[in-house]
Amino acid sequence: MRETKQIEDQLTVISAIKANDNLVLKKLYQDNYKKVEVFILKNNGSMPQAKDTYQEAFIAMYQNIKANKFTPTNESALQGYLYQIAKNKWTDFLRSSRYKKTSQMADGFLIKDEDTHMTEFDLSEEEYNPQNLAMEAFNHLGSECKKLLEVFYFQKKTLREIALVFDIGEASARNKKYRCIQKLRNLVSPN
Amino acid sequence: MNPDNNITQEQLEQIERYLQDTMPDEQRRQFEHQLQSDKDFRLLVEDVKVMLLGVESASLKSNLEQFHDEMVPVRTLNESESSKTDIPTKKTPPKILKYLTAAAIVIFIGAFWLESRSSTTDRLYAKHFKPDPGLPTTMGATQNFKFYDAMVNYKQGEYEIAISKWETLLSSEQKNDTLHYFMGVAHLADGNEKKAIDYLQKLTENGSNSFKKETAYYLGLAYLKADNVEDAKKYLTFSETESAQQLLSELND
Repeated sequence: MRETKQIEDQLTVISAIKANDNLVLKKLYQDNYKKVEVFILKNNGSMPQAKDTYQEAFIAMYQNIKANKFTPTNESALQGYLYQIAKNKWTDFLRSSRYKKTSQMADGFLIKDEDTHMTEFDLSEEEYNPQNLAMEAFNHLGSECKKLLEVFYFQKKTLREIALVFDIGEASARNKKYRCIQKLRNLVSPN
Repeated sequence: MNPDNNITQEQLEQIERYLQDTMPDEQRRQFEHQLQSDKDFRLLVEDVKVMLLGVESASLKSNLEQFHDEMVPVRTLNESESSKTDIPTKKTPPKILKYLTAAAIVIFIGAFWLESRSSTTDRLYAKHFKPDPGLPTTMGATQNFKFYDAMVNYKQGEYEIAISKWETLLSSEQKNDTLHYFMGVAHLADGNEKKAIDYLQKLTENGSNSFKKETAYYLGLAYLKADNVEDAKKYLTFSETESAQQLLSELND
Protein backbone atom coordinates (compact mmCIF):
# COMPACT_ATOMS: atom_id res chain seq x y z
CA MET A 1 0.00 0.00 0.00
CA ARG A 2 2.70 2.41 1.08
CA GLU A 3 4.66 1.81 -2.03
CA THR A 4 1.67 2.38 -4.28
CA LYS A 5 1.04 5.70 -2.59
CA GLN A 6 4.64 6.75 -3.07
CA ILE A 7 4.64 5.88 -6.72
CA GLU A 8 1.46 7.89 -7.05
CA ASP A 9 3.31 10.81 -5.47
CA GLN A 10 6.05 10.39 -8.04
CA LEU A 11 3.49 10.37 -10.82
CA THR A 12 2.04 13.60 -9.47
CA VAL A 13 5.49 15.15 -9.51
CA ILE A 14 6.03 13.92 -13.03
CA SER A 15 2.82 15.42 -14.35
CA ALA A 16 3.68 18.67 -12.57
CA ILE A 17 7.05 18.66 -14.33
CA LYS A 18 5.36 18.04 -17.66
CA ALA A 19 3.19 21.08 -16.99
CA ASN A 20 6.33 23.13 -16.15
CA ASP A 21 5.19 23.75 -12.57
CA ASN A 22 7.79 26.21 -11.39
CA LEU A 23 7.50 25.40 -7.69
CA VAL A 24 7.89 21.66 -8.24
CA LEU A 25 10.84 22.14 -10.60
CA LYS A 26 12.51 24.45 -8.14
CA LYS A 27 12.07 22.12 -5.21
CA LEU A 28 13.34 19.15 -7.17
CA TYR A 29 16.34 21.17 -8.30
CA GLN A 30 17.21 22.49 -4.87
CA ASP A 31 16.59 19.26 -2.95
CA ASN A 32 18.90 17.19 -5.09
CA TYR A 33 21.78 19.50 -5.83
CA LYS A 34 23.87 18.95 -2.71
CA LYS A 35 24.31 15.25 -3.30
CA VAL A 36 25.56 15.76 -6.84
CA GLU A 37 27.87 18.50 -5.67
CA VAL A 38 29.39 16.24 -3.05
CA PHE A 39 29.94 13.53 -5.65
CA ILE A 40 31.62 15.86 -8.14
CA LEU A 41 33.78 17.59 -5.54
CA LYS A 42 34.98 14.20 -4.31
CA ASN A 43 35.87 13.28 -7.86
CA ASN A 44 38.20 16.08 -8.85
CA GLY A 45 35.54 18.58 -9.82
CA SER A 46 35.06 22.20 -8.84
CA MET A 47 31.92 24.00 -7.64
CA PRO A 48 31.24 25.60 -11.05
CA GLN A 49 31.69 22.22 -12.71
CA ALA A 50 29.27 20.69 -10.23
CA LYS A 51 26.71 23.34 -11.03
CA ASP A 52 27.09 23.01 -14.82
CA THR A 53 26.96 19.24 -14.77
CA TYR A 54 23.94 19.24 -12.50
CA GLN A 55 22.09 21.72 -14.68
CA GLU A 56 22.82 19.67 -17.79
CA ALA A 57 21.54 16.60 -16.01
CA PHE A 58 18.46 18.42 -14.82
CA ILE A 59 17.60 19.50 -18.38
CA ALA A 60 18.21 15.96 -19.66
CA MET A 61 15.90 14.57 -16.99
CA TYR A 62 13.27 17.16 -17.89
CA GLN A 63 13.47 16.31 -21.58
CA ASN A 64 13.19 12.60 -20.95
CA ILE A 65 10.17 13.12 -18.75
CA LYS A 66 8.56 15.26 -21.45
CA ALA A 67 9.25 12.55 -24.00
CA ASN A 68 7.73 9.89 -21.71
CA LYS A 69 11.04 8.08 -21.43
CA PHE A 70 10.93 7.77 -17.67
CA THR A 71 8.61 5.67 -15.48
CA PRO A 72 9.04 5.67 -11.70
CA THR A 73 9.50 2.29 -10.05
CA ASN A 74 9.92 3.28 -6.42
CA GLU A 75 9.46 6.19 -4.07
CA SER A 76 12.69 8.01 -4.87
CA ALA A 77 13.07 6.92 -8.46
CA LEU A 78 13.09 10.38 -9.95
CA GLN A 79 15.67 11.67 -7.49
CA GLY A 80 17.84 8.65 -8.19
CA TYR A 81 17.41 9.12 -11.92
CA LEU A 82 18.55 12.72 -11.73
CA TYR A 83 21.54 11.76 -9.63
CA GLN A 84 22.53 9.03 -11.98
CA ILE A 85 22.35 11.21 -15.07
CA ALA A 86 24.60 13.74 -13.34
CA LYS A 87 26.98 11.02 -12.22
CA ASN A 88 27.19 9.58 -15.73
CA LYS A 89 27.78 12.98 -17.24
CA TRP A 90 30.62 13.64 -14.84
CA THR A 91 32.13 10.20 -15.33
CA ASP A 92 31.98 10.70 -19.10
CA PHE A 93 33.71 14.01 -18.71
CA LEU A 94 36.49 12.50 -16.61
CA ARG A 95 37.05 9.86 -19.26
CA SER A 96 36.96 12.35 -22.12
CA SER A 97 40.04 13.48 -24.00
CA ARG A 98 39.23 17.05 -23.02
CA TYR A 99 39.78 16.15 -19.40
CA LYS A 100 42.76 13.87 -19.90
CA LYS A 101 44.67 16.56 -21.74
CA THR A 102 44.58 18.74 -18.67
CA SER A 103 45.07 16.09 -16.05
CA GLN A 104 47.68 13.53 -15.15
CA MET A 105 45.22 10.93 -14.12
CA ALA A 106 45.78 7.50 -15.61
CA ASP A 107 43.16 5.29 -17.20
CA GLY A 108 41.14 3.00 -15.01
CA PHE A 109 40.82 5.22 -11.95
CA LEU A 110 38.02 4.59 -9.51
CA ILE A 111 34.99 6.79 -9.26
CA LYS A 112 34.38 7.42 -5.59
CA ASP A 113 30.76 7.03 -4.69
CA GLU A 114 29.41 5.86 -1.36
CA ASP A 115 25.94 5.40 -2.65
CA THR A 116 25.90 1.92 -4.10
CA HIS A 117 22.21 1.27 -3.66
CA MET A 118 21.07 3.26 -6.63
CA THR A 119 18.54 1.89 -9.01
CA GLU A 120 20.19 1.47 -12.38
CA PHE A 121 18.52 3.21 -15.28
CA ASP A 122 18.98 2.66 -18.93
CA LEU A 123 20.51 5.91 -20.04
CA SER A 124 21.59 4.77 -23.47
CA GLU A 125 19.20 7.06 -25.30
CA GLU A 126 20.13 10.00 -23.20
CA GLU A 127 22.83 11.44 -25.43
CA TYR A 128 20.66 11.78 -28.52
CA ASN A 129 19.14 15.21 -28.13
CA PRO A 130 17.95 16.91 -31.32
CA GLN A 131 16.16 19.47 -29.17
CA ASN A 132 19.53 20.80 -28.02
CA LEU A 133 19.95 22.31 -31.47
CA ALA A 134 16.69 24.15 -30.94
CA MET A 135 17.84 25.20 -27.47
CA GLU A 136 20.99 26.64 -28.94
CA ALA A 137 19.02 28.41 -31.67
CA PHE A 138 16.59 29.81 -29.12
CA ASN A 139 19.44 31.63 -27.43
CA HIS A 140 20.17 33.43 -30.69
CA LEU A 141 16.67 34.89 -30.95
CA GLY A 142 16.01 38.51 -30.06
CA SER A 143 14.97 39.21 -26.50
CA GLU A 144 11.35 39.94 -27.43
CA CYS A 145 10.90 36.62 -29.23
CA LYS A 146 12.59 34.77 -26.39
CA LYS A 147 10.31 36.34 -23.82
CA LEU A 148 7.18 35.77 -25.87
CA LEU A 149 7.98 32.14 -26.62
CA GLU A 150 8.96 31.47 -23.02
CA VAL A 151 5.75 32.98 -21.68
CA PHE A 152 3.59 31.07 -24.16
CA TYR A 153 5.27 27.66 -24.35
CA PHE A 154 6.99 27.38 -20.99
CA GLN A 155 4.79 29.36 -18.65
CA LYS A 156 1.70 28.29 -20.61
CA LYS A 157 0.10 31.71 -20.48
CA THR A 158 -2.78 32.32 -22.85
CA LEU A 159 -2.52 34.70 -25.78
CA ARG A 160 -4.97 36.92 -23.96
CA GLU A 161 -2.71 37.22 -20.92
CA ILE A 162 0.28 37.82 -23.16
CA ALA A 163 -1.56 40.52 -25.08
CA LEU A 164 -2.41 42.30 -21.82
CA VAL A 165 1.10 42.24 -20.51
CA PHE A 166 2.93 43.11 -23.73
CA ASP A 167 0.26 45.73 -24.25
CA ILE A 168 -0.60 44.59 -27.77
CA GLY A 169 -3.74 43.16 -29.34
CA GLU A 170 -4.43 39.46 -29.11
CA ALA A 171 -4.19 39.02 -32.88
CA SER A 172 -0.86 40.73 -32.92
CA ALA A 173 0.41 38.51 -30.10
CA ARG A 174 -0.66 35.50 -32.15
CA ASN A 175 1.15 36.77 -35.25
CA LYS A 176 4.26 37.65 -33.30
CA LYS A 177 4.38 34.18 -31.82
CA TYR A 178 4.15 32.65 -35.29
CA ARG A 179 6.87 34.91 -36.67
CA CYS A 180 9.15 34.06 -33.74
CA ILE A 181 8.65 30.36 -34.39
CA GLN A 182 9.49 30.89 -38.05
CA LYS A 183 12.68 32.68 -37.05
CA LEU A 184 13.56 29.83 -34.76
CA ARG A 185 12.94 27.27 -37.51
CA ASN A 186 15.22 29.17 -39.84
CA LEU A 187 17.92 29.23 -37.20
CA VAL A 188 17.58 25.50 -36.58
CA SER A 189 17.66 24.58 -40.26
CA PRO A 190 18.59 27.50 -42.53
CA ASN A 191 17.21 27.19 -46.06
CA MET B 1 14.84 18.51 -39.52
CA ASN B 2 13.05 19.25 -42.71
CA PRO B 3 14.00 22.66 -44.06
CA ASP B 4 11.89 22.63 -47.22
CA ASN B 5 8.71 21.94 -45.42
CA ASN B 6 7.50 25.41 -44.53
CA ILE B 7 4.86 25.71 -41.88
CA THR B 8 1.78 27.91 -41.96
CA GLN B 9 0.32 29.60 -38.93
CA GLU B 10 -2.70 27.29 -39.08
CA GLN B 11 -0.51 24.20 -39.22
CA LEU B 12 1.55 25.40 -36.27
CA GLU B 13 -1.51 26.04 -34.16
CA GLN B 14 -3.08 22.76 -35.15
CA ILE B 15 0.06 20.89 -34.09
CA GLU B 16 0.15 22.85 -30.85
CA ARG B 17 -3.42 21.82 -30.09
CA TYR B 18 -2.52 18.22 -30.81
CA LEU B 19 0.54 18.28 -28.57
CA GLN B 20 -1.31 20.06 -25.77
CA ASP B 21 -4.17 17.64 -26.07
CA THR B 22 -6.80 20.33 -26.60
CA MET B 23 -8.09 19.00 -29.91
CA PRO B 24 -11.70 17.84 -30.32
CA ASP B 25 -12.04 14.09 -30.89
CA GLU B 26 -13.06 14.29 -34.53
CA GLN B 27 -10.16 16.55 -35.47
CA ARG B 28 -7.82 14.40 -33.48
CA ARG B 29 -8.84 11.30 -35.43
CA GLN B 30 -8.23 13.11 -38.70
CA PHE B 31 -4.93 14.41 -37.44
CA GLU B 32 -3.77 10.97 -36.38
CA HIS B 33 -4.90 9.51 -39.65
CA GLN B 34 -2.77 12.03 -41.51
CA LEU B 35 0.15 11.23 -39.20
CA GLN B 36 -0.15 7.59 -40.28
CA SER B 37 -0.47 8.16 -43.98
CA ASP B 38 1.53 11.30 -44.74
CA LYS B 39 5.26 11.03 -44.23
CA ASP B 40 6.00 14.74 -44.76
CA PHE B 41 3.32 15.66 -42.26
CA ARG B 42 4.80 13.23 -39.76
CA LEU B 43 8.20 14.83 -40.17
CA LEU B 44 6.71 18.28 -39.78
CA VAL B 45 4.97 17.34 -36.53
CA GLU B 46 8.12 15.75 -35.19
CA ASP B 47 10.04 18.85 -36.17
CA VAL B 48 7.69 21.17 -34.31
CA LYS B 49 7.66 18.87 -31.29
CA VAL B 50 11.44 18.91 -31.06
CA MET B 51 11.55 22.65 -31.56
CA LEU B 52 8.99 23.37 -28.85
CA LEU B 53 10.79 21.07 -26.43
CA GLY B 54 13.91 23.07 -27.24
CA VAL B 55 12.06 26.30 -26.40
CA GLU B 56 10.84 24.86 -23.12
CA SER B 57 14.26 23.45 -22.23
CA ALA B 58 15.97 26.75 -22.95
CA SER B 59 13.39 28.58 -20.82
CA LEU B 60 13.90 26.10 -18.01
CA LYS B 61 17.65 26.52 -18.33
CA SER B 62 17.34 30.25 -17.77
CA ASN B 63 15.21 29.59 -14.67
CA LEU B 64 17.78 27.16 -13.25
CA GLU B 65 20.17 30.04 -12.60
CA GLN B 66 17.57 31.61 -10.39
CA PHE B 67 16.84 28.31 -8.60
CA HIS B 68 20.54 27.96 -7.95
CA ASP B 69 21.01 31.48 -6.65
CA GLU B 70 18.04 31.20 -4.35
CA MET B 71 19.32 27.96 -2.90
CA VAL B 72 22.48 29.46 -1.43
CA PRO B 73 21.70 32.91 -0.11
CA VAL B 74 24.31 35.30 -1.47
CA ARG B 75 25.75 37.11 1.50
CA THR B 76 28.12 39.56 -0.03
CA LEU B 77 27.84 43.34 -0.14
CA ASN B 78 24.10 43.47 0.47
CA GLU B 79 24.46 41.73 3.78
CA SER B 80 27.26 43.88 5.14
CA GLU B 81 25.45 47.02 3.99
CA SER B 82 22.30 46.09 5.81
CA SER B 83 24.16 45.31 9.00
CA LYS B 84 25.66 48.80 8.77
CA THR B 85 22.22 50.30 8.64
CA ASP B 86 21.34 48.49 11.84
CA ILE B 87 23.82 50.49 13.86
CA PRO B 88 21.66 53.60 14.41
CA THR B 89 18.82 51.54 15.88
CA LYS B 90 21.20 50.02 18.36
CA LYS B 91 21.97 53.50 19.64
CA THR B 92 18.31 54.07 20.48
CA PRO B 93 17.87 54.12 24.28
CA PRO B 94 16.42 50.85 25.57
CA LYS B 95 13.50 52.59 27.28
CA ILE B 96 12.21 53.98 24.04
CA LEU B 97 12.58 50.54 22.53
CA LYS B 98 10.36 49.16 25.26
CA TYR B 99 7.67 51.73 24.51
CA LEU B 100 8.01 51.06 20.85
CA THR B 101 7.62 47.35 21.40
CA ALA B 102 4.58 47.93 23.57
CA ALA B 103 3.12 50.23 20.94
CA ALA B 104 3.85 47.69 18.25
CA ILE B 105 2.06 45.00 20.23
CA VAL B 106 -0.97 47.22 20.71
CA ILE B 107 -1.00 48.03 17.03
CA PHE B 108 -0.56 44.38 16.20
CA ILE B 109 -3.46 43.33 18.40
CA GLY B 110 -5.53 46.18 16.99
CA ALA B 111 -4.65 45.11 13.50
CA PHE B 112 -5.54 41.57 14.35
CA TRP B 113 -8.91 42.63 15.65
CA LEU B 114 -9.52 44.82 12.63
CA GLU B 115 -8.39 42.07 10.33
CA SER B 116 -11.33 39.90 11.27
CA ARG B 117 -13.62 42.62 10.00
CA SER B 118 -11.76 43.77 6.95
CA SER B 119 -12.35 42.54 3.45
CA THR B 120 -10.53 39.66 1.80
CA THR B 121 -8.32 41.95 -0.27
CA ASP B 122 -7.14 43.87 2.78
CA ARG B 123 -6.39 40.65 4.56
CA LEU B 124 -4.48 39.20 1.67
CA TYR B 125 -2.58 42.42 1.20
CA ALA B 126 -1.59 42.55 4.84
CA LYS B 127 -0.58 38.93 4.76
CA HIS B 128 1.58 39.21 1.67
CA PHE B 129 3.00 42.67 1.65
CA LYS B 130 6.63 42.85 2.68
CA PRO B 131 8.67 45.84 1.56
CA ASP B 132 11.40 45.13 -0.96
CA PRO B 133 14.55 44.46 1.09
CA GLY B 134 16.42 47.21 -0.75
CA LEU B 135 19.35 47.25 -3.12
CA PRO B 136 22.09 49.50 -1.87
CA THR B 137 25.11 48.57 -3.94
CA THR B 138 24.39 48.62 -7.64
CA MET B 139 23.97 52.31 -8.43
CA GLY B 140 26.20 54.20 -10.79
CA ALA B 141 29.00 56.36 -9.45
CA THR B 142 27.85 60.01 -9.66
CA GLN B 143 24.55 60.05 -7.79
CA ASN B 144 25.56 57.05 -5.76
CA PHE B 145 25.86 58.78 -2.44
CA LYS B 146 22.48 60.50 -2.44
CA PHE B 147 20.73 57.39 -3.64
CA TYR B 148 22.40 55.21 -1.06
CA ASP B 149 21.81 57.72 1.69
CA ALA B 150 18.07 57.55 1.02
CA MET B 151 18.30 53.76 0.80
CA VAL B 152 19.51 53.73 4.41
CA ASN B 153 16.33 55.56 5.42
CA TYR B 154 14.28 53.22 3.30
CA LYS B 155 15.75 50.17 4.96
CA GLN B 156 15.01 51.59 8.39
CA GLY B 157 11.40 52.04 7.42
CA GLU B 158 11.66 55.83 7.14
CA TYR B 159 9.84 55.82 3.85
CA GLU B 160 8.82 59.47 3.84
CA ILE B 161 12.41 60.64 4.28
CA ALA B 162 13.63 58.22 1.64
CA ILE B 163 10.96 59.41 -0.78
CA SER B 164 11.78 63.08 -0.25
CA LYS B 165 15.50 62.43 -0.80
CA TRP B 166 14.89 60.34 -3.88
CA GLU B 167 12.53 62.96 -5.24
CA THR B 168 15.44 65.35 -5.57
CA LEU B 169 17.17 62.83 -7.83
CA LEU B 170 14.18 62.28 -10.07
CA SER B 171 14.70 65.22 -12.42
CA SER B 172 18.34 64.38 -13.07
CA GLU B 173 17.71 60.67 -13.44
CA GLN B 174 14.58 60.55 -15.50
CA LYS B 175 15.49 57.25 -17.07
CA ASN B 176 16.71 55.44 -13.99
CA ASP B 177 14.51 52.38 -13.58
CA THR B 178 15.98 51.53 -10.18
CA LEU B 179 15.06 54.93 -8.78
CA HIS B 180 11.52 54.78 -10.15
CA TYR B 181 11.10 51.26 -8.85
CA PHE B 182 12.09 52.21 -5.32
CA MET B 183 9.96 55.35 -5.42
CA GLY B 184 7.01 53.11 -6.19
CA VAL B 185 7.86 50.52 -3.60
CA ALA B 186 8.55 53.14 -0.91
CA HIS B 187 5.21 54.80 -1.56
CA LEU B 188 3.48 51.46 -1.25
CA ALA B 189 5.33 50.66 1.98
CA ASP B 190 4.28 54.09 3.19
CA GLY B 191 0.66 53.13 2.58
CA ASN B 192 0.17 55.29 -0.48
CA GLU B 193 -0.90 52.82 -3.13
CA LYS B 194 -2.08 55.47 -5.62
CA LYS B 195 1.36 57.06 -5.91
CA ALA B 196 2.92 53.60 -5.99
CA ILE B 197 0.72 52.67 -8.92
CA ASP B 198 1.78 55.86 -10.74
CA TYR B 199 5.45 54.98 -10.54
CA LEU B 200 5.22 51.23 -11.05
CA GLN B 201 2.69 51.43 -13.87
CA LYS B 202 5.05 53.62 -15.90
CA LEU B 203 7.85 51.16 -15.29
CA THR B 204 5.92 48.17 -16.61
CA GLU B 205 5.27 50.09 -19.81
CA ASN B 206 8.99 50.53 -20.19
CA GLY B 207 10.26 47.45 -22.02
CA SER B 208 13.74 47.02 -20.55
CA ASN B 209 13.32 47.16 -16.83
CA SER B 210 15.69 45.17 -14.70
CA PHE B 211 13.09 44.68 -11.95
CA LYS B 212 10.35 43.49 -14.25
CA LYS B 213 9.06 40.62 -12.16
CA GLU B 214 9.29 42.57 -8.92
CA THR B 215 7.64 45.60 -10.47
CA ALA B 216 4.71 43.49 -11.63
CA TYR B 217 4.47 41.89 -8.19
CA TYR B 218 4.36 45.16 -6.26
CA LEU B 219 2.06 46.69 -8.82
CA GLY B 220 -0.26 43.73 -8.31
CA LEU B 221 -0.09 44.30 -4.54
CA ALA B 222 -0.76 48.00 -4.96
CA TYR B 223 -3.88 47.23 -7.00
CA LEU B 224 -4.92 44.71 -4.39
CA LYS B 225 -4.63 47.38 -1.74
CA ALA B 226 -6.68 49.69 -3.93
CA ASP B 227 -9.28 46.90 -4.02
CA ASN B 228 -8.90 46.50 -7.77
CA VAL B 229 -8.76 42.72 -7.92
CA GLU B 230 -8.86 42.46 -11.69
CA ASP B 231 -5.74 44.51 -12.29
CA ALA B 232 -4.07 42.91 -9.28
CA LYS B 233 -4.54 39.48 -10.86
CA LYS B 234 -3.32 40.71 -14.23
CA TYR B 235 0.01 41.91 -12.91
CA LEU B 236 0.50 39.08 -10.44
CA THR B 237 0.04 36.64 -13.30
CA PHE B 238 2.87 38.26 -15.16
CA SER B 239 5.19 38.55 -12.21
CA GLU B 240 6.08 34.83 -12.13
CA THR B 241 7.67 35.19 -8.72
CA GLU B 242 6.85 32.54 -6.18
CA SER B 243 5.20 35.04 -3.88
CA ALA B 244 3.03 36.29 -6.72
CA GLN B 245 1.90 32.78 -7.58
CA GLN B 246 1.14 32.05 -3.96
CA LEU B 247 -0.93 35.20 -3.60
CA LEU B 248 -2.64 34.58 -6.90
CA SER B 249 -3.74 31.13 -5.88
CA GLU B 250 -5.16 32.52 -2.63
CA LEU B 251 -6.94 35.25 -4.56
CA ASN B 252 -8.50 32.69 -6.84
CA ASP B 253 -9.73 30.57 -3.96
